[in-house]
Amino acid sequence: ERKKTKTLEIYSVELNGTKDVEQTDKQDGKERYRGLKNCFHSKKDHHTEKLKKELDLDDHKLSIEELEKKYGTNIITGLSSTQAAELLAQNGPNALTPPKETPEIIKFLKQMVGGFSILLWIGAILCWIAYGIQYSMNKSSSLDDVYLGCVLALVVILTGIFAYYQEAKSTNIMSTFNKMIPQQAFVIRDSEKKTIPAEQLVVGDIVEIKGGDRVPADIRLLSAQGCKVDNSSLTGESEPQARSSEFTHDSLLETKNIAFYSTTCLEGTATGMVINTGDRTIIGQIASLASGVGNEKTPIAIEIEHFVHIVAGVAVSIGILFFIIAVSLKYQVLDAIIFLIGIIVANVPEGLLATVTVTLSLTAKRMAKKNCLVKNLEAVETLGSTSIICSDKTGTLTQNRMTVAHLWFDNQIFIADTSEDHSIFDQSSGTWASLSKIITLCNRAEFKPGQESVPIMKRIVVGDASETALLKFSEVILGDVMEIRKRNHKVAEIPFNSTNKFQLSIHKTDDPNDKRFLMVMKGAPERILEKCSTIMVNGQEQPLDKSTAEAFHTAYMELGGLGERVLGFCHLYLPADEFPETYTFDVDAMNFPTSNLCFVGLLSMIDPPRSTVPDAVTKCRSAGIKVIMVTGDHPITAKAIAKSVGIISANSETVEDIAKRLHIAVEQVNKRDAKAAVVTGAELKDMSPEQLDELLTNYSEIVFARTSPQQKLIIVEGCQRQNAVVAVTGDGVNDSPALKKADIGIAMGIAGSDAAKNAADMVLLDDNFASIVTGVEEGRLIFDNLKKTIAYTLTKNIAELCPFLIYIIVGLPLPIGTITILFIDLGTDIIPSIALAYEKAESDIMNRKPRHKKKDRLVNEQLAIYSYLHIGLIQAVGGFVVYFTVYAQEGFKPSILINLRVEWEDSNVNDLEDSYGQQWTWYQRKYLEWTGYTAFFVGIMVQQIADLIIRKTRRNSIFQQGLFRNKVIWVGIASQIIIALILSYGLGSITALNFTMLRPQYWFVAVPYAILIWVYDEVRKLFIRLYPGSWWEKNMYY
Amino acid sequence: MTKKEKRSFNQSLAEWKLFIYNPTTGEFLGRTAKSWGLTVFPKPVTALEYSFTVSDPESYKGYIEDLRKFLKPYESEEQKNLTACSDGALFEQKGPVYSACQFPLPLLQACSGVDDPDFGYSRGSPCVLVKMNRIIGLKPQGMPRIECTSKSENTATLSTYPFNGVIDLKYFPYYGKKLHVSYLQPLVAVQVSFNATSSTTNEVTVECKIDGSPNLKNQDDRDKFLGRVVFKVIARA
Repeated sequence: ERKKTKTLEIYSVELNGTKDVEQTDKQDGKERYRGLKNCFHSKKDHHTEKLKKELDLDDHKLSIEELEKKYGTNIITGLSSTQAAELLAQNGPNALTPPKETPEIIKFLKQMVGGFSILLWIGAILCWIAYGIQYSMNKSSSLDDVYLGCVLALVVILTGIFAYYQEAKSTNIMSTFNKMIPQQAFVIRDSEKKTIPAEQLVVGDIVEIKGGDRVPADIRLLSAQGCKVDNSSLTGESEPQARSSEFTHDSLLETKNIAFYSTTCLEGTATGMVINTGDRTIIGQIASLASGVGNEKTPIAIEIEHFVHIVAGVAVSIGILFFIIAVSLKYQVLDAIIFLIGIIVANVPEGLLATVTVTLSLTAKRMAKKNCLVKNLEAVETLGSTSIICSDKTGTLTQNRMTVAHLWFDNQIFIADTSEDHSIFDQSSGTWASLSKIITLCNRAEFKPGQESVPIMKRIVVGDASETALLKFSEVILGDVMEIRKRNHKVAEIPFNSTNKFQLSIHKTDDPNDKRFLMVMKGAPERILEKCSTIMVNGQEQPLDKSTAEAFHTAYMELGGLGERVLGFCHLYLPADEFPETYTFDVDAMNFPTSNLCFVGLLSMIDPPRSTVPDAVTKCRSAGIKVIMVTGDHPITAKAIAKSVGIISANSETVEDIAKRLHIAVEQVNKRDAKAAVVTGAELKDMSPEQLDELLTNYSEIVFARTSPQQKLIIVEGCQRQNAVVAVTGDGVNDSPALKKADIGIAMGIAGSDAAKNAADMVLLDDNFASIVTGVEEGRLIFDNLKKTIAYTLTKNIAELCPFLIYIIVGLPLPIGTITILFIDLGTDIIPSIALAYEKAESDIMNRKPRHKKKDRLVNEQLAIYSYLHIGLIQAVGGFVVYFTVYAQEGFKPSILINLRVEWEDSNVNDLEDSYGQQWTWYQRKYLEWTGYTAFFVGIMVQQIADLIIRKTRRNSIFQQGLFRNKVIWVGIASQIIIALILSYGLGSITALNFTMLRPQYWFVAVPYAILIWVYDEVRKLFIRLYPGSWWEKNMYY
Repeated sequence: MTKKEKRSFNQSLAEWKLFIYNPTTGEFLGRTAKSWGLTVFPKPVTALEYSFTVSDPESYKGYIEDLRKFLKPYESEEQKNLTACSDGALFEQKGPVYSACQFPLPLLQACSGVDDPDFGYSRGSPCVLVKMNRIIGLKPQGMPRIECTSKSENTATLSTYPFNGVIDLKYFPYYGKKLHVSYLQPLVAVQVSFNATSSTTNEVTVECKIDGSPNLKNQDDRDKFLGRVVFKVIARA
């Protein structure tokens, strides 16, 4: 009930978020904040009340003195160590509490009652009841039933412990991963600057941050120098945000003098006072909100549940049916109970769930090697059944690294490929000389020192993405940029800001003969062009006429159309007479000209797609998985990247494209003609759920641009309404609700925030989309292989069950004992069923559609019927042949066995006559009965070897698949034989286990049946291959 | 490897070999040796306990009828077609026709039912027949005999017939129901005579064992009937 309301709340959050946001793209950033605020206000429990209070904080409005008073601190000396220690003890460490985990004991108990455990507990309790009845009748009755009950209980407990341990192990991987990077903070305490672990920060601490640092807590800025922060993890907004000590907005979320915990300081420095720590930070509050979104059951969990229901249903109904039969056949109730126990034990594949766990964790390990870290074991398969992937753009599809892509000068567009030989464009032109100088000098970004040995493209840079790209570009082409800057001493600078939209600096030139100052400028191309009156062509200044302006516009549009970020560059040599060497430039007074400059060129940058992504997208497409891009970036950029990675394929058009090609209005285009769609967040806001559904079904290639992280949740829900299994990638804190809502949430290991990682089921260690595809492949393979494992395991249940049924109806001496069955289920069968997890795919699993959640079941009717009634029955027959052989060989022909049960089991009959007139004592018969158990056991084991081999494939011949490709299968077969040998010859003298030393010839009686199983299955597969789509395939293919 | 370890390895190897085939008992792969299971007649109502009242014929009528029925094939009329085999040696046959040896009822003397149709029950000294389970091909070695002892020697004296409980080798080996038609398995009778006849209730526990044959087991922890049988006789006045 509670879960439900929580989900509803989150849903309403999103609705509010969308209704509220009704402004243009330009204000999107602020709108995100507003959405966020709604998010808090709509929550109704005490949690929300607390949040509201926090948001009503007025720390950003207070003066420094008031703040000092409020927090009992001093901005010069900081807190004293004792004060800090007290506050730390009072408020706890400055860290996010990981989402509340289910207590270990509950997890453990869940394992104890989940799956088949209940049935086995019932079996155990029935055993004890049976003993109780026996004991009340005869004080010296045997303890066999008590032992069996204990064994069953032990089986439940051990498999439970095992499953618990496996789960704990995979959780552990995650927690170690979280602890990899301990964060440090630079703090003033006791008038001293110290570095302490960020966890120890307390409210009132004075901290310093600089470019590259992660903000260690929510901070009220006291002073800032050129400080910019990346709030994308909080708001999804990728543009850097300037921070200063001024109070600029009533809202705590929008004012510039607050820096938020876990955001990154991109450049500049700042000093601030800690106002919130740990869970009380804004990020902490959002993270705790996300934990309220209920986790959906994974598809494989649903499948396993379905399978458990089938098996338990069969067990219970056969059990009850035969209980009734037994009672009506005038058996005593006690006997009937014992039959019931036998039927339950024979029907329940005790080892299977443990096997499934092992199989999943093997795959999880394999995926971890391929950079997919699986937090939740069951998620391994979810990825395989994924039908829609909603992927981020930045960092996932792209490299998250702005790179210079094109240049335009001398009326020509050049390709700048810094990764290859860089002499692609003409560097002899005088224009290039000027342009390269502007690029180098009009740039504030710097390499972090001490990276001389690191390749340029991999060096860490302090500065924003564009400047970083320009710095690396010029370093590659021109060599030591810092040296060039040193030679061209900077005398004045105006950094980029959003009102000016340009950046300017003035330098002394490195030409000793030229005493003029050089003014360099870069910025938005149209703004730069406005300021120019001339343009440089082939190194010569020419007046900027209409035709050159046209050429500029054409180039600008072309580069912009590629989704690239375009910058314009211009310069001006300030006349020496007006600006002598001693001239003092004042950037506030602007005592220098900023018009009539000389336009030099354009340069465009893009965050290029990862090289592996196009291939991965193609694979997804052939695997029937729809890839939807969801990004906060501009539609043009988003579309360009989508086209270059194949999310929008080369020959697909959007409605807009068609309109443009046909020169008609967008409204006139037949929407059915378009395969692709680019939808902006603004358009999404106005859509009803029905319209969104229509969009999702009608277009195969969809890009959502300018979306807020909250809208991601709406998109995910829309996809889920189409019955799709949705995978979502995300890194920001605000992605966490969507990550939780998705069938499988995938967080980015490098760029991802902790909150996103906590909410996700899987972490991509390399942030690479292509890793998802390998994950899909593994997930599909494991689904196929689990089918094989289950088919293998279920088969012998019939061979285990029939003996009991025939025992009850025909009255034969019991062919196989309950304990013996457990030795098959938990002994000989375990390694082989795990071995099937190593089986290679039969065909290209990436060439078929994702499985349908509701139609393609793990255990379907065909699988159950083929396993139970085809192979299972052959096995049962084989087992009985071994049994009858042994009994006949020892003196009891099958005819005499019928209805012999009562005499056979009577310990007072010690001269029971066999078919040859020989007489048997009770113990001699008992020993023969155990020999029968052992023989039946060996019979099943031998046939299970054949069963294991046939299960390697479902369609192909074993000879196509290769008998020896999967070596683990042979390990499995060897284990079966060795375990059986040990049980018979090693432990055959331990009476309690009911095994005896079997005559060697009895081991081979079932071999013909094993061969029959193999041939039978080959014929089945042959007809499936010969007649696809036929009745045969429909009924015999599982 | 030290010398000691090596010896222990050889030792365990030897044990293993013995386990695979034990020449003294003829056991193969540890299977139980073929041996007679011993059962008693008449079939007691409760597990191996003969209780009756001497003065009440109804109380032992069942036993007597049972014994009569059991001894029917042993009557001289029934046995006239059987071979009178020579004593003291195994009677091995090649077939195709297998003959059965006579077991003259008088061998059981006081318990033959010839002289005393009540098998001693009416006198308070009841007869119990001990029979050996039939096992195809089993050839006893030595001089097998049934040795019966009472748990409390002074309460009762045990007499066994034939004399000394001897089982003659001529009845072996057995060739199976189909080949060895009308085979009679040798019997040994035990008569329990209580010493103190005056007391109201006499009770004795008797254990009979096969003795004198090295290849026949009479001591198995798990099989209480292998080469031995224990029963109780309660005779009320």
